[in-house]
Amino acid sequence: MYRYDAIDAAIVADRAAEFRGQVARRLSGELSEDQFKPLRLMNGLYLQLHAYMLRVAIPYGTLSADQLRRLALIARRFDKGFGHFTTRTNIQFNWIRLGDAPDILDSLAEVGLHAIQTSGNCIRNTTADPYAGATAEEIDDPRVWSEAIRQWSTLHPEFTYLPRKFKIAVTGAAKDRTAARVHDIGLKLRRSRDGELGFEVMVGGGMGRTPYLGQTIREHLPARHLLSYLTAILRTYNRLGRRDNIYKARIKILVASLGAEAFGREVEAEWAELDQAAIDLPDIELARIRAAFNDIAFEDLPPVSAALNAAKAADLSLARFVRNNVAAHKVPGYGIVNISLKTPGDVPGDCTADQMDAIAALADTYGFGEIRVTHAQNLVLPHVKLDDVPAVHAGLQQIGLAAANIDLASDIIACPGLDFCALANARAIPIAQAIAARFAEPAMAERVGELKIKISGCINACGHHHVGHIGILGVDKKGEEFYQLTLGGSGAEDASLGEVLGPALPADRVAPSVDTLVDVYLRERTPGERFLDTYRRVGLTAFRSAVYAEAL
Amino acid sequence: MSEAVITANSLVAGDVVFWAGGGWVEALADAERFADPSALDTTLQTAKGQTTTVIDPYAIDIVLEGGQPVPASYRERIRALGPTTHPDHGKQARGGAGVEAIAAHAGAGVRSSGRLGLIRRK
Amino acid sequence: MPKLYRLEGDQIVEGDDPFVALADDVPPPALLSPASAVILSFARFQREGDGILAQGVRVGVRLEPDERVEGLAYDLPRLALVALAFPKFRDGRAYSAASLLRERYKFAGEVRAVGDVLRDQALLMLRCGFDAFEPADGATVGEWSQALHRFRNVYQAAADRRVPAFAERAPAGLGRVG
Repeated sequence: MYRYDAIDAAIVADRAAEFRGQVARRLSGELSEDQFKPLRLMNGLYLQLHAYMLRVAIPYGTLSADQLRRLALIARRFDKGFGHFTTRTNIQFNWIRLGDAPDILDSLAEVGLHAIQTSGNCIRNTTADPYAGATAEEIDDPRVWSEAIRQWSTLHPEFTYLPRKFKIAVTGAAKDRTAARVHDIGLKLRRSRDGELGFEVMVGGGMGRTPYLGQTIREHLPARHLLSYLTAILRTYNRLGRRDNIYKARIKILVASLGAEAFGREVEAEWAELDQAAIDLPDIELARIRAAFNDIAFEDLPPVSAALNAAKAADLSLARFVRNNVAAHKVPGYGIVNISLKTPGDVPGDCTADQMDAIAALADTYGFGEIRVTHAQNLVLPHVKLDDVPAVHAGLQQIGLAAANIDLASDIIACPGLDFCALANARAIPIAQAIAARFAEPAMAERVGELKIKISGCINACGHHHVGHIGILGVDKKGEEFYQLTLGGSGAEDASLGEVLGPALPADRVAPSVDTLVDVYLRERTPGERFLDTYRRVGLTAFRSAVYAEAL
Repeated sequence: MSEAVITANSLVAGDVVFWAGGGWVEALADAERFADPSALDTTLQTAKGQTTTVIDPYAIDIVLEGGQPVPASYRERIRALGPTTHPDHGKQARGGAGVEAIAAHAGAGVRSSGRLGLIRRK
Repeated sequence: MPKLYRLEGDQIVEGDDPFVALADDVPPPALLSPASAVILSFARFQREGDGILAQGVRVGVRLEPDERVEGLAYDLPRLALVALAFPKFRDGRAYSAASLLRERYKFAGEVRAVGDVLRDQALLMLRCGFDAFEPADGATVGEWSQALHRFRNVYQAAADRRVPAFAERAPAGLGRVG
């Protein structure tokens, strides 16, 4: 994986030092809260309900074991012993003091971690395919381009005060594990007919108050022009995006109002006039970055692991774990191991400091020291020998993170919600826990199959509810927590936005209603159909009648 | 009007705090209670001037339950207690009569943002 | 008269401001002396700019964030200064305007930041090609100069032509500047 060189380290250290000075000036009163707030947001520091929350960047979802251990240390020393992985593959600490933030940033900087641009109206962390460099189905490694984007976008002087936040995703495989079509820019790696590597460029996706799927403004952009083209898009957005109304300030609104074609023409015109050579990375720098990601010395192994097969035969829970959590690797004899942070009963996406240390140790021993974070708030060990999967599974069982439920009904995405977040209308975590409890029995969850449930505590949609097969949105109805359900959303390559099922339901009706929806699915499905497929075939009516007949 | 208290987050720690006689306390039970709207307003302006101590003071409705102040809104109840997901985190971990009263109260009937003056009452 | 900070070499210095901002409703002095320097709003420049320039006066134009630099492109060679407004420091449109003035139009006059101009954004402004500032905070020139040298490296190319990290990394003889 990419390791910071002296220049990367200097930039992070200098930003931490700058922030230390800014904190001191805020505490002394030299800076007002109004002047300080964007500065602290751009270093990932939110004021939440109970305390400051620090959102540490995990660039394109890739962590080293050392970095994960440092996050554990931060959790122990400065927080309450745990962290929360987010839908943008960052990590949040919920109980941070402003006074400690400079020391925390210095500590993070020692291992090449930071909180730069994890909030604020600037370019945020890039979401990349968590299987990058491990899956056979990728056109090219999205991490190479995500690292290029990280450097170009970090402290970019022209794009530090955008109309609103800006999120980019890079996917390189047929299966989209990044929700690219609901990002401000979605980049899909592809090859032209004559084999040239490039990107399909989609803009204007987003969720929140007004969800949109991104539209393609460029079918094929030669890869070497990525940064100059992004510059053209960002400059167009910075100049034309609305600044009068924060609910109309994202690029999706601009693209919708101009129309994708007209917006695309603006971008192409700007791009044609840019000094592309000054902005695009020279081949030598791309090669340097690429080499950093090709640093794994895989062994020559048979494609089938007799040891694993024997162990599976003897251990049903291991067999289930492999079935649901282990994906095929491009190198024979290896597998991609998903670590679910959704053990039913736990807070989805949370990880204790002890668990982080244990995962780091597993990564060191069995996984080339590398960990990934997914936008579904889970972790991945991308390169594990199939022979070693039983040992990894045993290690995960010891720390209570062996739930074999990836993409199943209990693998729920949930934002922190009203338990933590100052923006929320309703709680999300207890709803997730109540639903997960109903699908805790592993065989039952497998019988239901792939079912992506996503819960947001407010319309800001950090829980991605618009793209849930079942989406759940917390709303405030007369001071009480109510929940609106949607069906048929998808954040994958078959992207779609969910349809509202009916009037919002009170909190205690949500989990039973999900049960009801699943019952309808199990009754209606034809062989091979996921929940999403059945919904797309039969529509809303049967689901709606079932839920609202009961609610009356 | 029912009674109100003034709340904010402490600048350095980020903790939820409540106004009491010129300073700030951590427990709602110890907060100064206002029954007179103009006194509330005057004090709120003073509180807003403490820009190196707290961030964004605002007033919230409280009701009395067995003599203990309890926020009328659900959101402010969570702020006064801590996350419902971790009963051992936040102020609720301290226990006591004040905490128990908040935890026991149903908290319906007011918009869950709880902030006075920003929202027209139904 | 508001303070004026200017970039000189690699330092920020304080100095007199030779320019006077002529408000739209203030009639111009009948005969401006050739030593005069005025800043006009864009609308006023469009109406009266030719006449004022003809008197040999140095003319600057102030652009609000929604006034595009393209509207000045034709006249830039005759202008001594463009002032770009930050109504609130969070309104980042002027960063693009300044970048365009320097990179696309090769404007060689003064690019001045006016409005809610604060030292925590100093380096951003400098990198985008601003070389003069009417500071709205109480920060000293020393503090502004500090901001200029806050970062030992930068990642990306910008109007200030600082060597970006990827060029610094290139082996000697390939892509290095100087």
